[in-house]
Amino acid sequence: MPYHEFECSKCIPERKKHAVTKGPGEDLTHALPLGYLNTIPGSISERGCAYCGAKHVIGTPMKDVIHISHGPTGCTYDTWQTKRYISDNDNFQLKRTFATDVKEKHIVFGAEKVLKQNIIEAFKAFPDIKRMTIYQTCATALIGDDIDAIADEVMEEMPDVDIFVCNSPGFAGPSQSGGHHKINIAWINKKVGNVEPKITSDYVINYVGEYNIQGDQEIMLDFFRRMGIQVLSTFTGNGSYDDLRAMHRAHLNVLECARSAEYICNELRTRYGIPRLDIDGFGFEPLSSSLLKVGRFFGIEDRAQKIIDEETARWKPELDWYRERLLGKKVCLWPGGSKLWHWAHVIHEEMGLDVVSVYTKFGHQGDMEKGIARCEEGALAIDDPNELEGLEAMYKLKPDIIFTGKRPGEVAKKIRVPYLNAHAYHNGPYKGYEGWVRFARDIYNAIYSPIHQLSFLDISKDEIPDEGGFKTQRILSDNGLSEEVRKSNYMREYTGSLDIITPLREKTYPEFNKKP
Amino acid sequence: MADINEKIAQLENFIMKKCLWQFHSRAWDRKNQNENILRMTAELLCGETVNTEDPADRCYWVDAVYLADSYRERFDWLASMSKDEIRELFLALRERLDYVLVDGSLNEELTDPRY
Repeated sequence: MPYHEFECSKCIPERKKHAVTKGPGEDLTHALPLGYLNTIPGSISERGCAYCGAKHVIGTPMKDVIHISHGPTGCTYDTWQTKRYISDNDNFQLKRTFATDVKEKHIVFGAEKVLKQNIIEAFKAFPDIKRMTIYQTCATALIGDDIDAIADEVMEEMPDVDIFVCNSPGFAGPSQSGGHHKINIAWINKKVGNVEPKITSDYVINYVGEYNIQGDQEIMLDFFRRMGIQVLSTFTGNGSYDDLRAMHRAHLNVLECARSAEYICNELRTRYGIPRLDIDGFGFEPLSSSLLKVGRFFGIEDRAQKIIDEETARWKPELDWYRERLLGKKVCLWPGGSKLWHWAHVIHEEMGLDVVSVYTKFGHQGDMEKGIARCEEGALAIDDPNELEGLEAMYKLKPDIIFTGKRPGEVAKKIRVPYLNAHAYHNGPYKGYEGWVRFARDIYNAIYSPIHQLSFLDISKDEIPDEGGFKTQRILSDNGLSEEVRKSNYMREYTGSLDIITPLREKTYPEFNKKP
Repeated sequence: MADINEKIAQLENFIMKKCLWQFHSRAWDRKNQNENILRMTAELLCGETVNTEDPADRCYWVDAVYLADSYRERFDWLASMSKDEIRELFLALRERLDYVLVDGSLNEELTDPRY
């Protein structure tokens, strides 16, 4: 597993140990990219800051909260809306973002007064919302504003409100991952244990490290409710502030994104004795085994099996339809942190894709261990690549598609590589059985888009074919498939509906009697 | 029949591809996970009773059941092994995982007191 040196980064020797190629017969003790280190000056990183990690990734998916940044409007604006973490309260936290609008004069004379004024104004403007999170930013951290003191003052004056202070300015870590850590620890230190929940089931979990991207959390909640499990809180997608104050009463922490939320699980395990179960919610087989594990923990694995059987029978023929058309397509799996290991093996096994590269922007070496272990030999693993390295890798590896964020995604499109948004999705949710088919459909649509095919032609020099007519997506994808596959009665394209989340919010669930 | 090293490689490869429990972020936690889950998996494969009274044990056990079921399904050579051979195999597997994931690991964060 030799380290891989990029031509474009020969002038940045510190980058030498940030990329490796997974070689045959080698294991993780042979080479492992460095990770979670300060960005190297001159290497134009695509990372976010620690404030972004705390606010944008973990804090703001909480739904019934005024999320206010104490700093310039740019900080809050640039961490607003791009993640599509929807909620079942009309997306309050997604529609609005708040900032104290700190200016130069506040840097000179202090910004505590303007903070207090903004807090009160926000609560008055939204009288139904009684919870608030205040995010520290670089500017107000540097001038030493005491946000906790102001929050305490307001809570004394307005006894019906509760405020959480998140002290994670942008400079508080090498990347957004530093912010994940800070908000995890701050939440358990300051808020967990403050509320006693109503327990309605014998089986109670916290669902942790799940951010309800386009409804992922609600899909999983549906499975848990069908099993009679009470989800006490979700950390934090579609999660409620007060539910998350009651995390200490769960019997089990079910952890999805260990990168962003293992800290709070580890603390809940140490302080309250709640075990941590890491699961995979993506892909038929990993999801099925995850549901079985949760069910088995409570002795209700038969309920999990029933769901698995129903969902697999309904959706497997559709997944297989896409698998036949995606077999052997090369993908660069370039997400932020956890999806490189959530997806690396299962898109290969269940969709037939070949992962030629994995990267992580803010992952730690532990994430690389998981990603490299799960991808196939020959894959190039890169930590925190800069834009030129990304381009060099794509020219070398010639992927059919990349899964990444929108900034590197737009770069890929410029060199005619289609991309899917791995952070916010295209037509999610991607979790659950139907969600996994929707992901396969998005991949299919991206690779076989007729418009994308046309983009390979340069009208300034290429001959434009005027024969054969317009090639549809289906013509492109079915070219070379056997007749047996093309005319299969078993396989079919996706038959679900546009919005699969709203109906879940009105669904009723079977009642399972609680043990006396 | 595969020799013991080949068997260990097959078992290890399955864990590395399909499981997440072995990748906890602290060195002590990884050793703890390896010890408990692999011990319980061996007990299950030997047809022994596993103690699941404690919530922590129950959590190890659900991963062990998944592993034991998957191994039985994939590796038919397990059925021809005696209980002693299975125990010996799993001790060797644990040593191997401890090496790859802790003692020989290049992950510099495993012993970082600040994570």
